[in-house]
Amino acid sequence: MRKEKTYVSRVGLSKRARLPVFVILLALSATIVLPLFWVISTSLRSRIDFTKNQFGLPLNPTWENFQSLIVGLDVGSALIRTLIIVAIALPIQILLASLAAYGMAKYLIPGYKVINATLVSVMLIPVQVLLIPIYIMLAKLSLIGHYPGLVLVYVVMGLPFATFFLTLSFRDIPNEILESARLDGAGFLKTYTQMIIPMGISNLAALTILQFIGMWNEFLWAKLILQSNNMMLLTPTLALIGGRNQHQQETLLAAGLVITGSLPILVLILFSKYIMGGLTVGMGRSR
Amino acid sequence: MTKPTPNKSWRVREKRLALLLVMPVLILVMGFFVFPIGYSFFISFTHSDGTYFKWRGFENYLRVFRDPTFYQVLGVTLKFLMAVPLVILISIICSVLLYERIAGWKFFRIIFFLPNILSGIVIGTIFKTLFGYYGPVNQVLQSAGMEPQLFFISANKSIWIIIAALVWSGFGYQTVLLLSGLNSISTEVFEAAVLDGAGWWKRLWFVTVPNIRRVLGFVFIINVLYTFTSLYGFIYVLTGGGPGLDTTSLDYLVFQKAFSPSDLGGGAAISIVLFAIVGLLTVLQNKVFKITED
Repeated sequence: MRKEKTYVSRVGLSKRARLPVFVILLALSATIVLPLFWVISTSLRSRIDFTKNQFGLPLNPTWENFQSLIVGLDVGSALIRTLIIVAIALPIQILLASLAAYGMAKYLIPGYKVINATLVSVMLIPVQVLLIPIYIMLAKLSLIGHYPGLVLVYVVMGLPFATFFLTLSFRDIPNEILESARLDGAGFLKTYTQMIIPMGISNLAALTILQFIGMWNEFLWAKLILQSNNMMLLTPTLALIGGRNQHQQETLLAAGLVITGSLPILVLILFSKYIMGGLTVGMGRSR
Repeated sequence: MTKPTPNKSWRVREKRLALLLVMPVLILVMGFFVFPIGYSFFISFTHSDGTYFKWRGFENYLRVFRDPTFYQVLGVTLKFLMAVPLVILISIICSVLLYERIAGWKFFRIIFFLPNILSGIVIGTIFKTLFGYYGPVNQVLQSAGMEPQLFFISANKSIWIIIAALVWSGFGYQTVLLLSGLNSISTEVFEAAVLDGAGWWKRLWFVTVPNIRRVLGFVFIINVLYTFTSLYGFIYVLTGGGPGLDTTSLDYLVFQKAFSPSDLGGGAAISIVLFAIVGLLTVLQNKVFKITED
């Protein structure tokens, strides 16, 4: 909210039009909020209560849907597996990307242009083209059906974007500061941990959050690499429960949706500032 | 240390360090993006189950282009493309309105963005539940005196539900992108247009849209890319590609082929065709929106 003097007529919408526009935006928000609210509310209702009236509120909230999912359908262990995989893959990815980005942003690298162009063009490759060859490669390494296989894929798939993103961010750190640190005798490691990381922290945070959401929601590789039932992650498990399709299952499904979706939503609510900032990095200045 | 001496050996060491920093990412990107592309090309010319590869020349491609299901699936994918103009229209309107700093615009921005952070599986499951035979949508229809619908039996209705899910879950992100494009326009441009007596709609079309041409082009490109490559999650949950093949898109077809390892060559060939189509469309849009020019 800085220097908002031109406030009244940025594109010159008349004052009279502001109220109807507000109402339209509110209605549009309702199409998003109401279904989500319905899901959350349904997840807290018992089957019998739900059959009486689909749109009722959880007047006698119950955890029975969550219980039967977590205990009966093994969603609890899927949740833990997903958490662990993301907790391993995410830091590795961010570490590798931040080191490479530091090199790209602050050192003279032979072939810089080629490397940069490769990173950008690689982001446009449809995942479908990679699916079959990577599956065969992982099979040859006997990594299909093993967690390290999925961790490896998760680390790698987000790497081009992460490196690209951090290179742009680190470039903003003034060279003079790094230069004077070097004159003071700070080596590479010291510069990286005490200058680059702290000064790039908000962009690092934004990236971590974006990549977290991506990994958490991932479905294709999780399904392809960990096919056996006792290794499944959260999204394939949810797809499986939903796929059994039965209308008697809305309350159960709703609970599954809440389990899968609540962490990203929580992250959005807590860190929306970082996310909104992070989304547009590289757009304004990519020239 | 005493005075720094940037002699040659120091420079060389510096270069080596920098390469060392970039190396892990470079190796992984080479190994998991660049090499697989070449590998995929190779596989597409063979008959393979993943363990043996028998050279077959262009046969897989010929098979793809002779197969009527390929054209059917391509047609389905083109239908899904209808979501692109819809998403973009809605996001242009939303971003312009948010740009007006309507009360609560920051709140709206976050709400609109909400579906974007949910997995395609979650969104698909929500829509499937909403449009189920006993679901809330039918309840509303019934209370309005209409017949309940079996939405997923009809190809047309299924396609529209998937498009609705795409629009619902996609417009928030595009709104944020366009909004950032709008924010980078200097307000003087608008003030000048107001002085010239241009009305709101006129300004939207002749001032706002041309000024965010580049962002708009980017939004078009990623939307088309998304429609061609990221529907499998929705489709897997919502329709499983059916009825028949009526909601099977190209990317979902590749997805299925990857899970049936008897014909990986054919799957790879389709994925290369998909890649070619997407690449062509990206280049084309780049030209139309003159993104790389200044």
